[in-house]
Amino acid sequence: MSDDLVKILDGNIFVVSDAAGDIEASLTDPTGLFAFDTRFLSKWVLTVDGARLNALSTDDLQYFEARFFLVPGTGTVYVDADLSVIRQRSVSHGFHEQLTLVNHRTEPVTLDVRIDTASDFADLFEVKDALKKKGSYSQRIEDDSLVLEYHRQTFGRETWIAADKPAEIDSKGLRFEVELRPHQSWSTELRVVAGHPALPMHPQGMMKKSPRRTTRAQVMARDLDAWMAATPKLECDSDSLRATYRRSLVDLAALRFEAPVLPHHALPAAGLPWFMTMFGRDSIFTSLQALPFVPDLAATTLRALGVRQGSCLDDFRDEDPGRILHEMRYGELTAFEERPHSAYYGTADATPLYVVLLDEYERWTGDARLVRDLEFEARAALNWIDQYADLQGNGYVSYKRRNEKTGLENQCWKDSWDSISFRDGTLPGFPRATCELQGYAYDAKVRGARLARKVWRDDGLAERLEREAAELKRRFNRDFWIAEGGYFAVALDPDGRQVDSLTSNNGHLLWSGIVDKSKAKAVVANLMGRRMFSGWGVRTLAMGEARFNPIGYHVGTIWPFDNSFVAWGLRRYGFKQEAAQIAEGILAAAEFFDGRLPEAFGGYARSMTKYPVQYPTACSPQAWSTGAPLLLLRTMLGLEPVGDNLVVDPALPDSVGRIELLDIPGRWGRVDAFGRGRVDTARATRRSTARP
Amino acid sequence: MASTNDPTAAFLEDLATRGHDPLVHQATGTLRLDLLDDGDVDRWYVTLAKGDIRVARRGSRADAVLRVERSLFDGMVQGKVNAMAALLRNVLHVEGNLGLVTMFSRLLPGPPASQRSFLERQKELHR
Repeated sequence: MSDDLVKILDGNIFVVSDAAGDIEASLTDPTGLFAFDTRFLSKWVLTVDGARLNALSTDDLQYFEARFFLVPGTGTVYVDADLSVIRQRSVSHGFHEQLTLVNHRTEPVTLDVRIDTASDFADLFEVKDALKKKGSYSQRIEDDSLVLEYHRQTFGRETWIAADKPAEIDSKGLRFEVELRPHQSWSTELRVVAGHPALPMHPQGMMKKSPRRTTRAQVMARDLDAWMAATPKLECDSDSLRATYRRSLVDLAALRFEAPVLPHHALPAAGLPWFMTMFGRDSIFTSLQALPFVPDLAATTLRALGVRQGSCLDDFRDEDPGRILHEMRYGELTAFEERPHSAYYGTADATPLYVVLLDEYERWTGDARLVRDLEFEARAALNWIDQYADLQGNGYVSYKRRNEKTGLENQCWKDSWDSISFRDGTLPGFPRATCELQGYAYDAKVRGARLARKVWRDDGLAERLEREAAELKRRFNRDFWIAEGGYFAVALDPDGRQVDSLTSNNGHLLWSGIVDKSKAKAVVANLMGRRMFSGWGVRTLAMGEARFNPIGYHVGTIWPFDNSFVAWGLRRYGFKQEAAQIAEGILAAAEFFDGRLPEAFGGYARSMTKYPVQYPTACSPQAWSTGAPLLLLRTMLGLEPVGDNLVVDPALPDSVGRIELLDIPGRWGRVDAFGRGRVDTARATRRSTARP
Repeated sequence: MASTNDPTAAFLEDLATRGHDPLVHQATGTLRLDLLDDGDVDRWYVTLAKGDIRVARRGSRADAVLRVERSLFDGMVQGKVNAMAALLRNVLHVEGNLGLVTMFSRLLPGPPASQRSFLERQKELHR
């Protein structure tokens, strides 16, 4: 998305417009009003006396509210404007727009003000893939509102548009005749409501305006204040870190989403604009990153994913009993089963990670009640690992889609077609057993055993899981280890051969704890060596591998989310200095993006580019990138719950200076953590990236 | 009476016999099923309480009402129609607690062909 677009959002309802506030979408560009994966407005253009307006300035007041200052004119030669137009827009079951005109002349004027409207009711998948619609369009006027409609058999969507001042309404928009005396102003509130019959969104009721209601914008502003007040305070020497921290918390608030089955509880959606919905993997990783700051996100993620945990075998949806969903969608293509997202389960990592999150959540919060409530779900997830995920009967989790038409080929986080390859570039067949899946499965068993013993009081299960975990670790360190390289193969192919490229997945293995202590030093040397570490972070794929490309999606770019878990893994094995190096690189990169880390950036060496090069079509803000600075704060401070206490063991880059993180919530109530930078990361980085 | 040509009655009577299923342990409440059949409404009440399931032909209050053509519901209980997709298509109407309907849908079977292909894969693995 180009950056002069203005985006405001509330859960999975969002508006993307140009800098003047206008929307004029073609099928393939992601501007418009979107709700529940459907575009409800593709045209929203303001004209005064038949002419478009120019933006003087645009303010993103809050993530749910924007203001556009406009003037008429050609935009070439600046002439003092004699009319100001202000549009203030906030998201609210659609959006509200306060339109104000101010006459600066000494004479009265009569203005012809018009809003042109249309909707293509495109499914987000159609916008992404440029597909054609199958239903029919119509318009009607009802209750002083213009209603845009779309129908395909029983499927219907409506957009309601109205104003609180008298307007001439026709099928293509609203027109106002505005008479202004000298220096007089005029204002109207425009309301647009997205109607979805299957979900609690009834437009007619929402169009009615009571005189003294609290607006959705006011509710959201109060909610954002409360959210910020409840999170730990960061005091530090670095202005950039302070700004990044604030940006991360606000973006995380913006990306919260209420699943219709669990109202009034928010979990993180994956990212704007394509992924404003529930994703198993993204919601879990983001909840893990944010645990020390906003533990409630994890609780909602666990509950919401539990409600939709797989309950039967369904090849079209790649569903199995106990499997945690990959992605949930509410649009037309999902409704007609042209896409399997109702829900789609094609992910091999979300299920073990579900157990990992449940355990990590309990360790931080002491909320044993949730662990008891979700005992059935956690057991079903653990059962899935053995009963449904071991596709080859060899004791390893692997994946192969059963929906060969619209299912996902790669069911791990590196989900692009060429992400898993041999050193020579050959792609392995399916099923694929990628290495990090074995790490997650190991960690799920170890943590499941702890929960079984501590909360579910089932020692038999605990012992079995521990035995299986130890056995998995032993086999994994034998079958995946590439001794001559000193790292783990990225996968085993269907014949059990090692897929031998060097990847960042090794960092996830450290995080999971599956790596033998004796092998950790060699793994770390690879991760922090010249082929992997760019100075900004660890590349997804090592330089020198056949498919390496510094701007290839999963084959050479640097992912902030990935790096935050690599840093956590380094801490887990005692490599504090290396973890600090990664934190320094990623946080320095964040400064170039005004505190908002993109999904991925180029894997060029830091010494070469001096600034991080953004990946072209990255989604922004994206939840797990937003969570990365939070997890890096945790790894820098060495925060670790031990029993009922929070242990602090700081290892900070010297460039970061002093950090105080105050009021960290957890089972200990609230405690503070302090640290001072002592790790000379510049020297360490020079040393490691200079190594041949 | 339950019979092969009345899959809905067979499914609901089986539910009543089962009496308990942990798949729905998160749900508490009564769901009223209004099955529409050529102008007639066949009404069932399914009460879920921490995994316990009660099925009745009469009841008073309901936390959610699911209104659907009987032929479509027949498809749902045989794993031929997906409840969520049907809801999004607007052929299945819900009033009240949507979460309760979502929970109930967990009791519905998957497509029979998917079950068969799973068993075949298992046989293959153990050969």
